[in-house]
Amino acid sequence: MELIVLAIKDILRRKGKSLYLLLAIVIPVAILSTILLTFDNADSSLSDLASKFGFTLIVQPKNVRVDKINQIGVNTSEYIPEGVIGEVEKVIREIITNPQDKIITIVRFYKEDDILTGKSNISSVVAGVDFKTELEAKPSWALTSGRWPKSEREAVLGGTYAGSRKISLDNTITIGGSEFTVVGILQNYNSSEDYMIFAPFAEVQKLFNKAGFVSVINIQNVSLDKDKKLLRTAIENINKNIPNITALSPQQFSTMKYALLKKALKFLIAIVTATIAVSIFSIFNIVTSVLYSRVKEIGLLKSVGASRSQLLLIFLSEYLTIGLIGGIIGYSAGLLMTYLLDFFLLNLGAGIRINLLYFLSALLVGIFCSFIASFYPTHRLSKIKITESFRTQWGG
Amino acid sequence: MDKTDSIFFLELRQVNKTFNLPSGEVTALDHISLTINKGELVALVGPSGSGKTTLLNIIGALDRPSKGEVILEGKRIDMLSEEALVIFRREKFSFIFQDAKPLRMLNVLENTLLPFNFFKPKNRNGNIKSEGIDIIKSLGLGHRLYHMPSQLSGGEIQRVAIARALITHPAMILADEPTANLDRNNRLFVIDTFRKLSKEKGIAIVFSTHDLEIANKADRIVHLKDGVFLKDEAVCCIPCPE
Repeated sequence: MELIVLAIKDILRRKGKSLYLLLAIVIPVAILSTILLTFDNADSSLSDLASKFGFTLIVQPKNVRVDKINQIGVNTSEYIPEGVIGEVEKVIREIITNPQDKIITIVRFYKEDDILTGKSNISSVVAGVDFKTELEAKPSWALTSGRWPKSEREAVLGGTYAGSRKISLDNTITIGGSEFTVVGILQNYNSSEDYMIFAPFAEVQKLFNKAGFVSVINIQNVSLDKDKKLLRTAIENINKNIPNITALSPQQFSTMKYALLKKALKFLIAIVTATIAVSIFSIFNIVTSVLYSRVKEIGLLKSVGASRSQLLLIFLSEYLTIGLIGGIIGYSAGLLMTYLLDFFLLNLGAGIRINLLYFLSALLVGIFCSFIASFYPTHRLSKIKITESFRTQWGG
Repeated sequence: MDKTDSIFFLELRQVNKTFNLPSGEVTALDHISLTINKGELVALVGPSGSGKTTLLNIIGALDRPSKGEVILEGKRIDMLSEEALVIFRREKFSFIFQDAKPLRMLNVLENTLLPFNFFKPKNRNGNIKSEGIDIIKSLGLGHRLYHMPSQLSGGEIQRVAIARALITHPAMILADEPTANLDRNNRLFVIDTFRKLSKEKGIAIVFSTHDLEIANKADRIVHLKDGVFLKDEAVCCIPCPE
């Protein structure tokens, strides 16, 4: 019989204690996996959204940082002069090889303001958009009811915005002191657009005294879409040649938008670290109590010829096996919790994906907790002399 | 070469053992000199605290003397390193403890073969497992081969300990109060088995006991009191209680 088999037989014999140990490992691993998988899910969800809308690259004011992005994830305080649009297109044109390749530019103007809906003023984000260009670039953009605006004083509302404020078609809302008629309600896309008011671009610029300025420039281009290296070059050239702006890929943009969440991630990781520390302490206590109850067994094993390293191998194999199983169960529990969290609360809708890196991390965390917590008591007890271990037995 | 084929001779020369306790230094053994020959069955008797266990520990290289020498086959073993002692013990000794509970997760046969999880027997012909089965059968446990320790009586558990001690073909078996918790029949079975093993296989067996009936079955009785050697006498000279 191999020493590992001895170790596994012992795990099976001490089912109760083994289950406690397993639980002490599963809990932190499950929490860690849930956090990582949820953030991965959120990232994927945003990337999916960006690619669904087909932006190749996004240009925004240079000093838009995380702290200037509002709670629904758009910049409503920094602007780019419209003249930059031509410069951006020129840089891209210089890079792409096919002169027939069309560059579609979609600009938006965002402003957060108190919007009068019915009798109450509510701070909301207004997006000035060119509906015709947007619809050309995003054929999937659709309304659940009504129609697209045809005149300057007509607006479309995000689905969640309209629903939460109980605004329906033909209601009037006041933006910047001017009344707009709601003519359409947008489909929900699980994005910031669900919480916005959309009105004609030039009209919104004028209302907020920002004629000639835009909040963001979104570019669509097939060549850049196909060739990631070319896209990187375009981004680098735009950032190098045009001052006061930042060009980003949708992926980078989503990363930036989620920077705040990533700060939260750091906080959550700190909580996980604390959980891991508590777990290690618990495992240490359990292992110590188990090993002290096994002192006579240690003496017996030594008396039949077990060396210290063989005892260490048996005991560490036991605890590392539990750590490994704890890692697998913890990751599986994390997958389940991520799914439930998404289903009942977050509705990110990206689908739960098994991430090999996170799976391996979960296994490593399980093994790490187990090893760190069990090494010292195992090391110490393996040093016990046979005579000491049998002191209570060898009575004469 | 089988362990029992060698000429076994163990000698203790002026062995002292002291323990430093919070209450002061305690002398457990005081100038003990003793020789044990191949195939001898030796009983250590004396009241509690007389030093029987300490003496067994020193004979079996489980502990080192504070002073004096322990010589086995002409070689001092009290000077060996801990690693060397592990190998030495595997080759020469087997131990049987008073409350020798087998490992609970292993059955009788697996417990008997336990030592071979830690080292491979040298120069052993034949199947170790079938030898283990034969030993277990010879100890009257043939029907218990695959039973777990929780299914065994105290006497049967002690027989498993004897089987485990025999499987390595030791030159010497050291047993501390091996009959302490057994009924008379089992006590007699254990001592008769010891006697048979020492005579037929040439294994030197040293055991401690409070039981004079058991001690009288030995070849020699070594009397200890307060760590001091009182007398060492052949059993034929002692009147049997029966």
